[in-house]
Amino acid sequence: MKINSYEEMNLQELDVMREIGSIGTSHAATALSQLVQKEIRITIPMVHILGYNEAVRRIGNEEEIVGATLVKMSGDLNGLMLFLYNIQFANKLLEKLLSEEFKAFEEMDDLARSALVEVGNIIICSYINAFTQFVNMDVSLSVPSSTVNMLGSILTVPMAEFGYETDKLMYCNADFLMEGSVLPSWLLMLPDMKSLNEILERLGV
Amino acid sequence: MEKSLKVGIGDMKLTRGSGEIITYALGSCIGLAFYDPNIKLAALLHIMLPERMNPKDQNVFKYADTGIKETVRKLMAFGMVKARTVVKIAGGAKMFEISGNPNFGNIGIRNADSCKKILRAEGLRLVAEDTGANYARTMSIDVGTGTVLVRTFGRPLLRL
Repeated sequence: MKINSYEEMNLQELDVMREIGSIGTSHAATALSQLVQKEIRITIPMVHILGYNEAVRRIGNEEEIVGATLVKMSGDLNGLMLFLYNIQFANKLLEKLLSEEFKAFEEMDDLARSALVEVGNIIICSYINAFTQFVNMDVSLSVPSSTVNMLGSILTVPMAEFGYETDKLMYCNADFLMEGSVLPSWLLMLPDMKSLNEILERLGV
Repeated sequence: MEKSLKVGIGDMKLTRGSGEIITYALGSCIGLAFYDPNIKLAALLHIMLPERMNPKDQNVFKYADTGIKETVRKLMAFGMVKARTVVKIAGGAKMFEISGNPNFGNIGIRNADSCKKILRAEGLRLVAEDTGANYARTMSIDVGTGTVLVRTFGRPLLRL
């Protein structure tokens, strides 16, 4: 059955997306673990189809300052992948990478900022590489683009991009755990509708 | 306490007399503040896309064309006179720059252009704007005075 928007997926199809999330997140965790030289565990992966307001509530509030990395996928699969993290995530990693912590994003120096950009790139690229191999799709990625700004404005980027197709967002990830505590970050997997159908078809649902 | 109305994404609120109307974190979206000073009538519209493609879509405030028309219709029912009314806009940023793909994320610019074109066609005066660049904006209008404030991350407060 052809799907016209994220919320039309049935339980079985959502399960397939969860499997993709599981593969992607575990590879991302391995890559992150190599970077910080610490064991990283992951929680059970989840898939959620959320509207804008629910997505904002789940992460924080509209004006909260978050870091984000965005990659555009093209080729067999078209769409966006968005990785978001807050200041706690940033600090836990910067403490390991640079032995530094910051009260807020605006206090960070260039080195800290570029370390976080790198973390975002590594997580997002290892996630995409893992799941595209799994679904056997040839996907080229844009150079990752990073920003630090208000949460609300970042979440509207994919919505504006797909605004005529759907106004829902697809969460497809698990939490990273380092030294027993959660690293607060979120991955949004946003294939366009044609690509979503293609993925589901290839995986036989 | 002064009343404060919050406008969500693809939404519009209007009120009269005093208080404020606010909309948070405009990225590529545009906030349009309409104000008729004679009767202290203010409206704040938050649009996301330049035009409505699907005429069956009920969500008129999501689009610049239908959103502005519906806002004007409502305001005129409350006694707005176009010749007195001023409009201020903010937003239309490009949050991510994807190298080698200049068309990506220019929805902000298209939104701003679309808003200006429709305002002109409606015969409304655009008196101030803060659009473009690459950062988010929170926009509020003081219903008593028509002053629009634009708050951003890491930049001074802007008064329009």
